[in-house]
Amino acid sequence: MTAVSSGKLLGEPVDRIDGHLKVTGGAPYPSDFSYPDMAHAALVQSTVAAGTIRSLDTAGALVAPGVLTVITHENAPALAEGPMTNIGPSPRFPLADNRILHHGQHVAVVVAETPEQARDAARLVRVEYDEAAPVLGVGNPDAPVLTDPYGMESSRGDVEAALAASDVQYDETFHMAPETNNPLGLFATVARWEDGRVTVHDSSQWPAMARQSIATVFGLPESAVRVLVPYLGGGFGAGLRTWPHAILAVLAARMLERPVKLVLTRPQMFTSVGHRPESVQRLRIGATTDGRLLAVDHEATATRGAEEMNIEPITMGTPDAYAWPSAATHDRLAALNIPNPGAMRAPGHAEGGFALESALDEISYRIGMDPLELRLRNHAEVHPSTGLPWSSNALRDCYRVGAERFGWSARPAEPRSLRDGAWLVGQGMAGVTFSRWAAVCRAQVSVGRDGAALVRCAGTDIGTGTYTITAQLAAELLGLDVEQVRVELGDSDLPLAPQSGGSGLALALSGAVEDAARNLLRAFLDTVRDDDSSPLRGRSLDEVAVTGGRIHLANDPSAGEDYAAILDRHGLRELVADGEKDPSPPEGLSMAPAGAFAAQFAEVRVHEELGIVRVSRLASAVDAGRVLNEKTARSQVIGAMVLGIGMALLEETSFDAGGRIANATLGDYLIPAHADVPDLDVAFVGGPDAFNAVGVKGLGEVGVVGVPAAIANAVHHATGRRIRSLPITLDKLL
Amino acid sequence: MATSSTTGRTTGEVRVNGEARRLDLDSRVTLLDMLRDHLGLTGTKKGCDQGACGACTVHLDGRPVVSCLVLAAQCDGREVRTVESLARDGRLHPLQEAFIRHDGFQCGFCTPGQLMSAAALLAQRRASSADEVREAMSGNLCRCGAYPNIVAAIRDVAEQNGTAGDGGPGAARNGAA
Repeated sequence: MTAVSSGKLLGEPVDRIDGHLKVTGGAPYPSDFSYPDMAHAALVQSTVAAGTIRSLDTAGALVAPGVLTVITHENAPALAEGPMTNIGPSPRFPLADNRILHHGQHVAVVVAETPEQARDAARLVRVEYDEAAPVLGVGNPDAPVLTDPYGMESSRGDVEAALAASDVQYDETFHMAPETNNPLGLFATVARWEDGRVTVHDSSQWPAMARQSIATVFGLPESAVRVLVPYLGGGFGAGLRTWPHAILAVLAARMLERPVKLVLTRPQMFTSVGHRPESVQRLRIGATTDGRLLAVDHEATATRGAEEMNIEPITMGTPDAYAWPSAATHDRLAALNIPNPGAMRAPGHAEGGFALESALDEISYRIGMDPLELRLRNHAEVHPSTGLPWSSNALRDCYRVGAERFGWSARPAEPRSLRDGAWLVGQGMAGVTFSRWAAVCRAQVSVGRDGAALVRCAGTDIGTGTYTITAQLAAELLGLDVEQVRVELGDSDLPLAPQSGGSGLALALSGAVEDAARNLLRAFLDTVRDDDSSPLRGRSLDEVAVTGGRIHLANDPSAGEDYAAILDRHGLRELVADGEKDPSPPEGLSMAPAGAFAAQFAEVRVHEELGIVRVSRLASAVDAGRVLNEKTARSQVIGAMVLGIGMALLEETSFDAGGRIANATLGDYLIPAHADVPDLDVAFVGGPDAFNAVGVKGLGEVGVVGVPAAIANAVHHATGRRIRSLPITLDKLL
Repeated sequence: MATSSTTGRTTGEVRVNGEARRLDLDSRVTLLDMLRDHLGLTGTKKGCDQGACGACTVHLDGRPVVSCLVLAAQCDGREVRTVESLARDGRLHPLQEAFIRHDGFQCGFCTPGQLMSAAALLAQRRASSADEVREAMSGNLCRCGAYPNIVAAIRDVAEQNGTAGDGGPGAARNGAA
């Protein structure tokens, strides 16, 4: 059997295999599921940010038409705590007691025959509070602050001495507003109990975790819980936890012995399913006047909800981003009376990248060096923390190719040197070194008598193209056409998979599929081991290849037979094989497993009098290892770039003085619309990664990371103004 | 439809995707919820329920509307078309094919609304340039950020079938899809 990695970088730009379903309205998202006799739930949320519930009057709601029950902390049964996951503990259950820890905390759930009845009755629940002063704002001195909360702080070299001895001593502070994920699909949970087992359609990026969470909370074996998410209306990290509303829907269905559907409203999407936390960063960098970076010290503070946990490792990427001899990072986490933050596409990296790449731009101006040249001079030829060679690193190619496509060499260095009427024009760039992450994944592959394959895995396709790349990879490994491969995903009963998150699923799943396909071919060869009528009799895996639906000798394609012939002759309906990939690096590995790299270039137009910023061009060159599908991969990157535009210019979740989110609608919280996004240029460079068999590195997030800094640097180039606070709204430019 | 203030119910008849449907509904039911919850047409999506995202766009008497801001009670005797009606006789609409070819979606949740707005746009001949498409489509949000591909898909179809329009002041704005 030939290895998958044929050395070519770009996989065929196959159309999505789920495209037909999605353009016809036939793809079933969690909110699309209904059952006969289903009841509908509506949430009641706290109108204060801190304190306790003094009284809760449900009488009016209970007598309203169609109301079946109202669940509050006074009648909710005690439930077990949710489990620890690989991204931290489960959310706090809000109906455990009468305490209020944030505005918008669920205080009751009303269940009625119809959604209209539930919504109306929810307004009839009367809640009185003993209000306390909320602790708000990332810099609030009253906020309890955790030091090194993720255990990820690092240090090498004598940073303080190196900083003190540097000719150029950079020391600046950056701020980022909280952002809200806002997937277009309202998060929904549909729960149905039957004979002590529960089936849950939930807006989850991680069916295996959702199953584990529900099983733990309700004291069930995991086999009694089935979570289905064949399609998800986006997540961007919001689907990486089993949130309290999902637990409440499952609970309501158990109490009523009826299926229950709960769909969050858009305002509830701001308070119920996480957000990118507000953050402050201080970055100190020492450099020589000829552009050698000597030391970096990066301190970052993010926020979490009171009595909650969130991992926002903002400084994580800094030590290995450049070849600085000395580097130290410091992480802080402040607890506030806010809805708990959570992961939002490129958590940590997005914030850290903004500060780091803005800082490099500033240093380049201080020493009079082209910003791209400064990055090339400090390129990390080997992995800085370990000194090991990278498993792949085409960052230099990213810079070169991106600069060529963008036309960087024609850029005048001087700020305010480009103008088009009232519009000041500027160009900026940023580099990205993304961290690699992946977790254990399993998959099952089978081939039946029709010669077609079926791949099954619990992981979800949140729009990234998982269905399609899985089919393409299985087709390649089994010598089939893509049309001959069916893929089943998003079902916790299928082989275990990690989250669709952290840019880790494609890597892990492709490894599992590769292993399963190998085991399947071995099973076919085992079947004909003593079969006199098979030209493959007694052959081993390394002697054969697969093409055109046939297994044949690698050195003699005429000697072979197709899958169906083998199954037929041996009276088998199908052969099935399991595969598993543990992508964690083994001890003593002689290379440093790399994540993706990118160089990103932006051109902006800033209206000199009005301060309006428009992005006119945006280009990315990305090293994501082997790209399984050029079309869906490009889509991943442009989508990430669009999120980056939002982060740079538009997105800000505004908390008022009372801790209420003042702009919790899509009319008030601005995300990029069609008119905000120009044509986007994407190029893939590099080659297959050496650490894993398929050569894949994740690419779901890398495209976000450099965009805010590239835009901020372009704004500086256009206006001479350095903005270290996101989003760059016009008030900051006037 | 007739709405009774004593029963809180509304009755009437709507043509949905060419088929007459008699309805007897809670008068608070929106056109969106009527389609999704009462007629089983879940292709139309609810992204905000506030008229801000465009995911629920359908055609009401040939004009694009956000169905979350229309009450079912307002639809008596009127014609509704949803994403489920775009493909005819098992053949995809050219826009559907172009969305697939250009990868004009990722998660796919906003896609039905994007398609219905795009169909109206072509009928109104408002696709003469990428910028015109961007402006006209800006009521349809896509959080996955597929915008450049959506614009390319719409422009592709407009060029193919000559419905791009000249973008001039005479361009019809109320044409049926």
